[in-house]
This record gives sequence, C-alpha cells and structure tokens, in this order.
Amino acid sequence: MKNFPRVLLIAAAAALVAAPFLTGNPFYQRIAALTALAAISASAWNLIGGYGGQVSFGHSVYFGIGAYASLLAYTKLGVPPIAGAPLGVLASFALSVIVGLPSFRLRGHYFSMATIAIAALAEVLVTNWGFAGGAIGLMGPASPRSLADLLFRSALPYYALFVAVLASLLGFTYLMQRGRMGFYLRALGSGERAAESLGVPIRRYKLYALLVSGAFTSLAGSLYAVMVGFIDPGSGFGILVSVNMVVMSALGGAGTLFGPLVGAIILVPLEETTNALLGGGSSGAAYVVYGAIIMLIARFSPGGLAQWWPLLSGKGRRGAA
Amino acid sequence: MILLQLGVDGLLLGAVYALFSSGLTLIWGMMNVVNFAHGDFVMVAMYVAFFAFTLLGVGPIVFVPLAAITLFGLGVLVYVALVRHVMRGPMLAQIISTFGLALFLRYAALWLFSANFVSLPDTLVGGVYDLGGLRLSASHLLAGATALVLTLGMHLLLTRTDLGSRMLAVSEDRTAAALVGIRPDPMQALAWGIGAASTGVAGALIALFFYVSPEVGNSFTLLAFVTVCLGGFGSVPGALLAGLAIGVIQSISAYFLGPATKDVAVYALFVLLLWVRPQGLLGRA
Amino acid sequence: MMAITRRGVLAIPALAALPAAAEAAGTVRIGYIEPLTGNAAAAGQSIKAAAMLAVDIINTPHPDLAPMPLAAGAGLTRLGGAKVDVVWADNQGSPSVGQSDAIRLITQDRVVALCGAYQSSVTLTASAVAERYGIPFLTGESVAANLTGRGYKWFFRTTPFGPDFAKLYLDFLADVAKTGMATGKIAIVHENTDYGTSVASSISKVAASRGVKIAQTISYSANGTDVSPQVLQLKNSKPDVVIFISYTSDAILYMKTFKTLGYRPPIVIGDDSGFSDPSFAKSVGDISQGALDRSAFVAGKPGSLPYKVNALFKQRTGRDLDDTTARSMQGFLVMCDAINRAGSTKPEAIRQALVATDLKADELMIGYKGVKFDSHGQNILAYSLMIQLQGKGYVPVWPAGRATAKLALPFKGWT
Repeated sequence: MKNFPRVLLIAAAAALVAAPFLTGNPFYQRIAALTALAAISASAWNLIGGYGGQVSFGHSVYFGIGAYASLLAYTKLGVPPIAGAPLGVLASFALSVIVGLPSFRLRGHYFSMATIAIAALAEVLVTNWGFAGGAIGLMGPASPRSLADLLFRSALPYYALFVAVLASLLGFTYLMQRGRMGFYLRALGSGERAAESLGVPIRRYKLYALLVSGAFTSLAGSLYAVMVGFIDPGSGFGILVSVNMVVMSALGGAGTLFGPLVGAIILVPLEETTNALLGGGSSGAAYVVYGAIIMLIARFSPGGLAQWWPLLSGKGRRGAA
Repeated sequence: MILLQLGVDGLLLGAVYALFSSGLTLIWGMMNVVNFAHGDFVMVAMYVAFFAFTLLGVGPIVFVPLAAITLFGLGVLVYVALVRHVMRGPMLAQIISTFGLALFLRYAALWLFSANFVSLPDTLVGGVYDLGGLRLSASHLLAGATALVLTLGMHLLLTRTDLGSRMLAVSEDRTAAALVGIRPDPMQALAWGIGAASTGVAGALIALFFYVSPEVGNSFTLLAFVTVCLGGFGSVPGALLAGLAIGVIQSISAYFLGPATKDVAVYALFVLLLWVRPQGLLGRA
Repeated sequence: MMAITRRGVLAIPALAALPAAAEAAGTVRIGYIEPLTGNAAAAGQSIKAAAMLAVDIINTPHPDLAPMPLAAGAGLTRLGGAKVDVVWADNQGSPSVGQSDAIRLITQDRVVALCGAYQSSVTLTASAVAERYGIPFLTGESVAANLTGRGYKWFFRTTPFGPDFAKLYLDFLADVAKTGMATGKIAIVHENTDYGTSVASSISKVAASRGVKIAQTISYSANGTDVSPQVLQLKNSKPDVVIFISYTSDAILYMKTFKTLGYRPPIVIGDDSGFSDPSFAKSVGDISQGALDRSAFVAGKPGSLPYKVNALFKQRTGRDLDDTTARSMQGFLVMCDAINRAGSTKPEAIRQALVATDLKADELMIGYKGVKFDSHGQNILAYSLMIQLQGKGYVPVWPAGRATAKLALPFKGWT
C-alpha cells in the first residue's frame, strides 16, 4: 500500500466522496450519509479494538453519551443540538478514565465481557433516568428554529458534515499509524505479554487510544441525534450499536486504516437496500441473507476483506491464511 | 415467608440459568470461542419442544431427548462447517461468525414460524405444590432438578472419565494432545455437540413454563454470558453456583428495590467482580 | 485498495436501477410503515393482513358493507375509480430505520400519503420526515401523548391515546364502585419502554386530577425472564385493582405466575397490547378468566359492519381482528377516504380533506363515536369500551349500552 500511486488513490477517494452529490436520489443520499456516519463510529472503534486488539462491545455507551448530550443540551438549555457535542466528548473522556482504566487489567474475553456488561448497565440506567426522558427518550427540535439546528430535508448537508469528521478521524489514524503510538498499539494488538516485555507502557497507550476512540464515537452519537432528531435508550445504548461497529471493522479488516470504512460501505447499503427490497415482502428473509453473508466472510476470509487487498491490487501473492 | 418464597423462586430460576449456561461454559472454556448464538440455540430447542408437542403430540419425556439430539447435531454441524475454520483465526472472525449464525437462526425462525408468541399448554406439566404457603410449580421444579442433575453429570463427565480428560487435554494444548495421540477435531466437535445438547435440554425444559418466539434467545444470551463469566470460563460447578446466585439476587432485588433495578444489581456486581477477581468465582487463576 | 474503492463507487449507480418508481395508470400509492421484523413483527404482520383486506374492500365492489365509505364502488370513485396500492416498509422497530423508510417511500416510491408506524418512537421520527416533505401522515395505532402537540401540520391520529384510556378506566372503576366493590386501591404494573411508561403516566395524571390516588406503581423490563417478585409484591400489598400495561410475552408470564403463586387480584385490567394479542387468549386464556381489557373494536352482532369486516378478515387469516390491528386498519381507511374526498393526489388537497374529515359512527368498522380532528390532528371522537375474557374470547361488558355480556367480577383466573 505504501508504494501505491497516490494520484489514483486520491482520484478514487474523490469519486467516492462526490458520488452522492451526483445522484439526485434522496434515498441514496441518505444511505451515503448513514454509511459515512457508521464509518465514523466503526473507525473510532478500530483505534482501540482493531489496532489495540481490545475487543470492546461497550462502545455503544460512548455513542449514547454523545447522542444524549446533544438532545439534552437542546431540551434542557434550548441550544441547537449540535452544541451538546462538546459536552458529550468531555463526558466520554471522563468515562474512559473512570471505567476504562480498571477494565484494562482484563484481557481477551474478560475485557469483552466486561464491556458488554457495562453497556447493558448503562442502557438500564438511562431507561430508568427520568431526567433524560427515561424509556420514552428525547426529541430534537420539531422544526428548525435557525440554521444552527441543522435540520435539513436533504441528507446532503449531513453527508458533507459526516465526511469532514470522517476525514479528520482517518487523518488522525493515518498519522498515528506511522508514529510511535501506532507502533505501540500494534505491538499490543499482536500480544500483550510480548508488548510488555518490549517495554511498551501498556496501560498509558491503551488509555490514549480509548480517549480518542471514545471521543469520536461520542461525536458520531451526537451527529446521529442531530440528523434523526430523536434518541431513546435502545437506539443510543443498545448492544446492536456496538455490534455494528465491530462487524463493520471485522468485515473490512480491523486494524487497517480503511477497513472499517470498507465494511461500512458494504454493510450499510446492503442492509438498507435489502430492507427496501425484501423488508416489505417477506419478514426476516433479509436478515437470514445478512447472517449467511457474515458467516461466509468469517469462514472463508477470517482476516476481513483487508487480507485480499494485496491480491486484488496485484501487489502480493498471499491469499487467505 | 415472602423471603423464603423469593429465595426458593430465585434458586429454581437460577438453576435454569445454570442449565442453559453450562453448555456455553463448556464450549467457551474448552475452545476459547464465544458463541453469540447461544441464546438462539435455546430458542431452537424451545421450538423443537413446541412442534414435537403440537405436531406429534408427545410430552416432555420424548421432546426433551429429541431437543438434545437435534441440538447435538446442530452443535457438531456448526463446529465442522464454521467454527473449526475460524477458531484459529483472529478473535474478531470468531465473534462475527457466531454473530452471523445468531442472526441467521433468529430470522430463519421468524421466516419459518412467524413472530407470534406461542407456548406449551399450562397443563402439560401442570400442578402447583403448596408446602404450607410456599408455592412451587411443577414445571419449575422439574427444570430446576434436571439442571442440577445435568450440571453434575457434565462435571463428572469432564473430571472423572477418560473422554473428559481427553477433551480437557485438547483444550489445554492442542498440539501436545495431538502428540500423545488424541485427535483434536473429533474431541472439539464432541464438546460442541455436548454443549449444544445440554442447551437443548435446557431449552426444552424452559419451554414448559416460558413463551416461545424467534426473539426469545435475546433474553438468554447476555444472562448466559454473565453466568459463565461470574462462574469462571469453562467451570461447570462455577456456572451452577453463579446461576443460583444470579437467580437469588434478581429475585430479592426485584422485590425490594423494584424490577428495574434487578439487572442493575446483577450487571454491576458482575463488573465489580471482574475488576477485582477477573478469573470469576470458581475459575482457575 | 483500488479495486475495493472502485467497487464502492460502482455500487451506487447499480443501486439506482433497483425499485422502479413507475406509476401505474390510475393507481394511488400509499406508504405503510410497520414492524414487519423484530420484536413487534406479529403485530406488524397482522396489520399488514388487515390493510390488504382494506385495499381489497376499496378496490373491488363490496355493496354489503354499504355505509362504509368506498366499499360499494370499485376504487377511488372521485379519482376516476383509481386503485389503491400500498407500498410496505419494514421499520424493524428502529426510529432511524423508520426515518429511512419514510424518505424512501416519499422520494423513491412517490407515495401520496403515509400510514403507520406502530411503535410511538418510530411514528415520531417518520412523521417528522413527512412534515419536512409536506406529505400527510396518519397513525391509526401509536398512542404516546407526545405525538400530537408538536405543532405539526401534516400529522393526524385516529386512535384514542393515553389520557382517553385513563378516563375510560377511571369511569369504569367509578361505575363498578357503585355496585359496592372496593376500587380505591389501584396498582399500575407497566413495562418500562415508551409504551408502558407513557400510558402509566397518563393514568397517574388523570387519576390525580380526579383526586384518585394510585397506591402502587411497578415498572419492569418486558424481556425479563421472571416476574414472581412483582406478583409477590402485589400479593403482599393487596390492591383492589391491578392495571397492566404490558406486551404479550410479559402479560402471558404474569398470568402464569398468578396461578403458580395462587394470587387473584379482585379486578385485573390489561391495557390492550399484550392482553389483546391473539396469542394471549390462546396460550393463557383458560387461566385468565375475567381479565378486563380495553378495546375499540368489538365484532358485535351479526349484520353489523364490524362483524362483517371481522368475518372477511377471519376468512383470510383464520383469526379474529384484534384491537390494535383494527385501529390501524380504520386509520388507513380514513386516509383513503380523505384522498377520495380530496379528488386529487396533491398533498395539500389531501391534507385539507383530512382536516375536514367528519365520519359518523355507522360509517366506521370500529367502535369510535366518529372521526373528527382537532387542531393538533387528534381524533376527538375516538372511543374505547371495556371487554372481558369470558370463556374462549373477549366480550364487551361496559358501558351498559354497548355490552353484550354481563360483567363478571371478581377476577376468577383459573378453576
């Protein structure tokens, strides 16, 4: 990938980014926006889960914090929902330190299970927290009071916003990958004992990665709430929110720069269009197909699609391990 | 009196938790594979019981073994066709494989059986025993007693038989086991089969007093995770103890603190315990 | 890298060719958003079956259903006999998916109006999209109080909602109290998602405004595995009345646990949903004798409009119409009637026709006193009655004018 012609790469990326502007179809524009949004949270998860090898199922907590921060800011303070995003990011920092640090002592499955339980705990607590709307959830502005409410009929403005956030996240990831932090995290991901014996300050770097990862996931949550205009415990803190991030990263290739993006580009349109085509017709058939595809990928390409990239670009000879 | 009733209810419920978690802990502990489809295995077994009753008219004496056999087959199939290939890959591949399986099973059930709630007639294992004000339903008692026998049996199988020690040897060190002449694949396929079969028994028994629907597995997957984790990965007696503890904690906290807090109590205890004693209650350090 | 990226680009034009948005001549398309998969799929599928029946009633002549608008002729008569066509969308119980559905139906399938979307949270987000696009949205089934009162121009609701139910229960209990039965100590047991929480708070509010005190409120999670601690709580506090706001699975579980623990509250009221689900009567009907429920739909006497519609539904599906399904179907029929009266498929014309709606009780397949919208889009003539589980099914028992069977109290449960 390093010797890959940069011009082609940029051209392809530009074409991909511009495509939604060229189609006049609002539904595809919305799919594009949802894809970019999913790519943000999956790429954020990838920092700690992919590079660092800490498989978290608790990232829905960050997503929920961000989503609730923006709609709480709107309902309690009357400010535009997006103004709550920085508050969400601050709260995510606090959560990383308070909950993340003790969890880092756990390894492998124990870490994953702890994160599942923390996410489930958060969902129950928010469901019973009357101040935040309890089970009913919170509503955004019904109609725009000003441009700052970011309520648009078209999905394109959201898409542009999401792509900008995604680009800065991928930019950060790219720089990190080449720096000391990337080296440490990769060492961590390939084996904690080995990394420790190399003298990597494990907990400190896990925390760094979690801080950035959590902040961007929280931001994704805020953006979701701004676009959808509604949040309830299930769509903010539900386990499926975390699972989506994990599955997208794993499909595209966890621990690679573009893996989560590729996963999102495949899965989100797949889900939305199978719902459009089959959803109304036969109940459940869409998810049967979806589940089968996931199993096939895990079975025949367990490293995610990333392991095929060298083959496809003619750069490598290695196939599936 | 209320406290006694709550305690006994909690224990019976906890035995059921232990029952459907024992299969998970076997697979998990022996292979380090997380089965996200575990709750959906329970769901499949519940449907086996339901259809065995409605179509064939047979009672629990037939449909419980039938569910065990069906799930044994499902477990072996899943291992041979899927898990065997992903288990030495990255952990993520293992996770998405069984997650895909969960989606597949759940929505295939929805597609085939529709989303309607069904349940076995209340009279199948009917009857309520009244012991001086303490009321126990026969179906709960049956499930609880079977759970105890089953987990004990599984524990003995693993610790006291030649087969058990072979299976444990494979789980300790695949390569070393292969060197002393134990073929790892059949052993692990067997572990999946046995784990799934015990889940099958659990599902069929739960169907006696619980509704059946394609989504029912959701309720069980996380509880099974918590139970297994609390009891220690791979420890069958641990799962039993953890299951009983969770049942009692839920029952008591739901009464005194309100039902909304019962999950809070269990999950919070679980997280704290993980932080303090990560190998679980009875896990090996 | 390159190949993958390029594939991503190609995928989008390829998608554009999928659903053809061609409008068949003389067809009016209405979008219908329901949970066709997920937890509430049973309800969604049932509503789908009922709406398909409604389409058949409208598109082909049904002179025997005479007073019902659009039944006698074929198609929408004021639109040259145009046929009604429903485009279905599955919301999967997710507010975000419901929003995607609404956008797709409006922009892709070019529907002229929307119905749905079962879960109040999904109706909330989907109707917000309709509002932005200026497309009429009518819900026949979502009952959360916060849906109306958002200042929306394009949102209508035919079903009674939280405060209406609260009044119904309190009126009913006041009537029962006249017979000498104690009804003063009320316990509310509700599941803790938006449905249970909002109905419970409506009941508490209306009760407070009448000086009736709610003695106990228990909130629980619907996907829980065990409810015996709650039943023990009730058994201990001995309320006169227990009002359940429950989904199907938990309603079934409560009735089974009542029997196990040998507890019979004197009056058991179930708030629709779980108690109205056909699976409820089928699986625990024989141990829940005397349970009360509210319903806007009662098949009633042979020859009546609801009876005939129910017979047609039963012919298709093999089961009776339940309250939720019937309310949704009625909502859809009101929408079709409005489009017909508008004589046009222009959104603004349909909206004005909806605003002008004034349907009488005998034109409806459901027990409302009529359909007429207030300035929030809420039907002010929505109405329900109390029904009771006696034998195999529910029979109307209150108010006296509409009852076909005698109210039997206290709650008997099992024998």
